[in-house]
This record gives sequence, C-alpha cells and structure tokens, in this order.
Amino acid sequence: MSAGSTRSKWSSETGPEALFGGKDISPFGRRQKRPRGPRLPVVVVTGFLGSGKTTLIRALLDKPEGAGTAIVVNEYGEIGIDHALLRSSSDATVLLGNGCLCCNVRSDLQETLRALFADRARGAVPSFARVVIETSGLADPGPVLQTFATDRALGREFHLQALICVVDAIAGAANFARMPESRKQVALADRIVVTKSDLAEAGATERLVERIATLNPAPVGIARNGEIDPSFLLDEPLAVRRNFDLAEADHTHGLDSFSLIFDEPLSWPGFEQAMAVLMSLRGPDLLRVKGLVALAECRGPVVVHIVQHVAHPPVELEDWPDDDRRSRLVFVTRGLAREPVAQLFASVAAFAAGGA
Amino acid sequence: MADTAIWNFKQLAHHELDGFGGIGEGMSIQIAKDGRRILWLAHESAPKNFTAVDVSDPRAPKLVARADLPQSHMRSNSLETVGDIMAVAYQTTRPGLQPAGFELFDISVPENPRSITFFDCSGPHSRGVHQLWFADGQYIHMSSGASDFVPSHPKDDQFYRIIDVKNPSKPVEVGRWWLPGTKEGDSEPPPVRHPENADTGFRPHNTNVYPERPDRAYLGYIDGGLVILDIADMAHPKMVARWDYHPPYFGFTHTVVPFFDRNLLIVSDECTRTEGQDWPKLVWIVDGRAETNPVPISTCPLPPLENFMRRGARYGAHNLYENLPKPNAWKSDRIVLATFFNGGLRAYDTSNPYQPAEVGYFVPEPPARAPSGAIQINDVFVDERQIVYTVDRHVGGLYTLEMEF
Repeated sequence: MSAGSTRSKWSSETGPEALFGGKDISPFGRRQKRPRGPRLPVVVVTGFLGSGKTTLIRALLDKPEGAGTAIVVNEYGEIGIDHALLRSSSDATVLLGNGCLCCNVRSDLQETLRALFADRARGAVPSFARVVIETSGLADPGPVLQTFATDRALGREFHLQALICVVDAIAGAANFARMPESRKQVALADRIVVTKSDLAEAGATERLVERIATLNPAPVGIARNGEIDPSFLLDEPLAVRRNFDLAEADHTHGLDSFSLIFDEPLSWPGFEQAMAVLMSLRGPDLLRVKGLVALAECRGPVVVHIVQHVAHPPVELEDWPDDDRRSRLVFVTRGLAREPVAQLFASVAAFAAGGA
Repeated sequence: MADTAIWNFKQLAHHELDGFGGIGEGMSIQIAKDGRRILWLAHESAPKNFTAVDVSDPRAPKLVARADLPQSHMRSNSLETVGDIMAVAYQTTRPGLQPAGFELFDISVPENPRSITFFDCSGPHSRGVHQLWFADGQYIHMSSGASDFVPSHPKDDQFYRIIDVKNPSKPVEVGRWWLPGTKEGDSEPPPVRHPENADTGFRPHNTNVYPERPDRAYLGYIDGGLVILDIADMAHPKMVARWDYHPPYFGFTHTVVPFFDRNLLIVSDECTRTEGQDWPKLVWIVDGRAETNPVPISTCPLPPLENFMRRGARYGAHNLYENLPKPNAWKSDRIVLATFFNGGLRAYDTSNPYQPAEVGYFVPEPPARAPSGAIQINDVFVDERQIVYTVDRHVGGLYTLEMEF
C-alpha cells in the first residue's frame, strides 16, 4: 500500500492483528474457504403473494438436503396458514407476526434471528445448519439484505448465502407491469425460480424468462410441481464471468443492472475510495453491489457486498473459485448507469497509479 | 437423549472399535510402507493397550491391530509415533506396581507391532508415565515417576523427564525437572496444597517441545499452572515462566500450545469432576509477548453450564489439537480445536485473540452403552489432509470429520 492510504478501517496495522497477526496476515482477518466463512447461511426467498414460495420451501424441507433448516416466516394476510404448513416439516420455525418484512420491522427479524442463534448455542432448539427466510410478498429485499451487512446487526453470526426470487408463470408478467417492487425483487436476486409453468398457457414461461433476462442475467430455474433442485436454492452464487448492461428505459426511476470486470488487480485503497464516493453520492440508488475483487496486496480474492450505504465486512478467500482471476462486480442500481461508474473506477485507478 | 449437534464440521464416519471404544489421549498418524495411513490410538483404560485403524479412506476406517495390556492395574493412555517407531506410556493404578514406564514398538508392519524395548520407570513412589511427547525421533519428553524420586507429597509423584531414544533399544535419561519443593529434600518449601477434594497434584501433564523453539518445553503443570522451561541444556532445565491461576480456579492445567508466529499461548484445563463441580474448566488465550510474564487475555466461549451439567459425566475443557511438528499433522496458528467431554469438540478462530469466536462444534449423540449416558469427547487430532479425528473416552470410539469453517 502506498503511504497515506493505510488508514483503511480494515487495515491490519491497527488493532489486535498488529499485536498478534503473525507473518501470514490478511488485511481482512483469517482467510476463508468460502464467502460465508463460519457464519450461518441464510437463504432469503422473495416473490409476490401466491407465487409459490411456501410450496418451494416445503419441498426443500422434504428432501435430505433440506435437513437442519430453520424457517423464519414473515406473514402477510392469511394468518397462520403458512406457519402451520411449515411447522409440520421443520424443526425450528419462527413466526414473525408483524406483517410486511421491510424497514420498520427489520428489528423483529434481527431479534428473531438473534434468539434463534442463542437458542441453538444453548441447545434449546435442535442444531440447525441454515436459515431460510420466507418474506412476505410485498417486501422490499433491500432492508433484509442490510440486516446481514454489519456486525452491529447480524453480520457476525449470519451470512446472506443467496437471495432467491420466486416468480409465477401465470401472474408474473402482469405483476412486472403493475408493481415496480416485483421488478426490483427480480433485479436484486441471485437466482430466480419460475413456478406454475405447467399451469400457464403455452409460451408464457418462455416469454417470462425472456422478460426476466432483461432485468437480471442471474440463473433462472423452472420449478416442477412446485419443487426445484435443492442446490439451486442453497448454494452460494457464482461470481459473474461476463460483461452485461441491462438498463430500463426510464432512467430516472428505472433499474439498472450491469457488471464491471477489471483485468488488472485493484488496490484496496483505490477500490475503497471509489465505493466511498459512490455510497456517499448515490447510496440510496446503490441497491446492491457484489462480487470478487483481485487485490494487489492479497493472495486470494476478496468478497465484497454493499447494499445502499452499508458495506459488509470484506472476506478474503483462500483461493479463487475458478480460473478467472479478474475482479468481477455486479451493480444493481436505481437510475445509475454503467458508464459513470466505470469512469469513476478508471479515474480512481489512474489517480492511484499516478500517485504511487 | 441429545441428538448429534454439528456445526461447520461434516461427519465422515464413526467406528466404535468393535466394542472397545474407550480412547485416552494418544492419537498418532503413521504412513505405513505400503502407503496406508494408520491412526494409532491409546486406550483410556484396561484391558486394551492400543488400537490401530486404517484411515486411508476417512469415510471407511478399518480396524488393523489391537493389543492387550499385560496387567489390569495399568493403562496406556498416551502414545506417539515417529516413522515406524511407536512409544506407548504405561501408568499403574498405584505407586509401586509394575510394569510402569514406556515401551517402544517397531510398527513397520502395523498388523504386527514388535516390542523393541521397555523403559522402566517403576518405583516405590512411582505410577510410571501418564503422558509422553515424541516428535523428533530422538527425545521423549514425558510426565513420569522414577525409582529414585521421592515426592514431598504422594500426589506429586510425576515430574518432567527427557529420554534420549536415538538408539531405540537403549533409551537413556538426559534430563529432568520438577517444581521446586515437590521432591523430598528440596530446599524450597512444598507448594500450598489445593483443598483436599480438589488436590490433583503438582506434576506435569503435557510436555510439548517444538522445532520453532527447541530450547523450550511448554508444560501444563496440573495444580501448578503453566510452566515454560529453558531446555537448551537438557541436563539442567531452568524455569523461564510460570502462570498459576489457582486458586481461585480449580487446578489441572493440562496442555500448553504456543502459536509461535503470533506470540500467543493456548492453555487448556482438564475437567475432572462430574456435573459441573469443578466448573469453569476453560481454554485460555494467553499473551506470550513477554515470555517471562504470560498474561491471560481471554477464554474460548462455551455454551452455558446449565445446558450440559446434567447430561452426565464431565463437561469442560480437556485436550487441544497440538500442532504436532510432524509431516502428517495439520498446522494452524489461528484455529483452536479443543475437546470438552459432553460439550463435544469445539473450534475457535483466534484471529482476534481478545475475542475468540466459536466457528464450529461437533457433539455426537451419546454412544449406545455409554456408562454415563453421555458422550465424553476426549482428544482430537488433525492430519495434513485436514481430516479431523476425535474420540470418546468410554465407549464411542472414533469419529472422522471434515472442517468446513
């Protein structure tokens, strides 16, 4: 690192690592085998009312891969029905009674998850290996994503493993047209499950999948009889491998989703500065930024995840997940296009190179 | 009965060792000449001496060999292998009995361990060897009595001894050390005893020596706390540091593992009483930057006592994975793996040593026929493939695991 740029809050030059770091030190703590490290994986399932979320989760619990899953249900409307369904097949089900799982009830979710974690540690609930959160149909996933971002919230114990969006082949297209929230759920997702394709008219599923591809290039899975391969729900998403740029026509409120890929390793201070500029100027519009960063000062790739003005603590992995060693970032924004972001990174990189 | 609780470990196999699944504190990997990976296990108590298990495929461990003890009044408890030589500790139930000492075996054919020599440590005041450390092929560092050693208190019968086994058929003692005052005739006064119902003796348990500091021995000195010795002159070990935290804590400091590169010492107690009577028995993180002044800075977090104290038998710390300085052993100066009897095997990340964080646990369901009705996870070893081996003290035998943290 160049002089004057080492005051990063992740710097190893202060704190316990300075006293006890040893020689083989990562600026980001112990190198991890996988992005979640030792934390509990959380799979968040979004999707509009009636899209088939509960059926999908219930099918997962019936499979061996679904063993050891705690379900947190956030209800809206039909009181208790989802809860009753899930309770019969899950060891640890918690009902959030407070309606829509958005900003104002986020603390409910935090308290629920905190209690689950504590109960598990003291053996008061069966030992579970993951949490699946079923959000209410209207929920904005953003606040849920933020919940796992910081130590103050739940970032020390829980890790957002995957955000799954369920879209049904019958009503999905109409929801996209009428409800901006449904497009946002799709845009933010790591994977998308299309349900009810067997009930939809001919060609509807194909048209829906094409529409989804205009919002998010993430993998789309077609559920059969309400179920899908468990790994499609549970696995850590793969890092993006190609450039894309999806922008909705309305640039003032429309969603943009694009990738930035850097051939050369970045410097952490440069990356941090570029992100700090973006977060301070356009934080509310930075719906989600995720990816792997190759750093000159690190052996392994660094996993980054930012939701609006909140950055998850970066994690250095022991190794790259594939043979692509380039920095790869995906941005989902509201009205913030690829070009100015790419330019910002380019100028910060040029400044860092010039000042080195 | 509690179900298995598992977090960030993946269980690969469980082998009950055909009805003799009570394992002590000796776990050592040998790569046999035919390439098989053999795990040698010391038994907790008679009638079995040691068991060899082929763990080449950790998903399908196979029993290879097993030996009986010559006497029922003895136990082996501790063993180590270096190449095709295995050292096995023998301790008797009372002073004055035989055989007490250690035996060296040629294990070049794992099915047929052949005795090379027996090193006698018996004596009127000796129970022989409780634990031995054998990593470099030349020296055995051990906690042992001796025929010529008269302790000032009968519970202090074992002390630190260094035996040169370079010629395995003729082991020779090259050094010894005891806490001043624990040998009759010492000019120093004997140490102040712990209360009678909690007096477990001023004697070493584990005696670890690493190539990073060949001039140091790291001793868990039971009721005497942590002891660091300068053994540059093996004939005259000198105490460099001692950290004694009892009272107020119950005694039985068990193991000291240095994380050399990070100036940390990881120290475990042994829980020796049931139902939480000697709680808390802990794993301590000690700041070792000033060698002569070890400073405890944290302990590894444990689930609440009330959730385990009534599960049966012991709940509290015991063995640590010791970063064995051997090619077929895993090394980590971040992760602590520790066994806690009915609290199972637990893993901690010490990256921030002021706040060690639990990153995994494995608490198997109580084995069938467990005398206490509880699991009693006793010891842990990790090979260079990062396969974790852990054992039950009474009947459960061997569990193989992968680490996922």
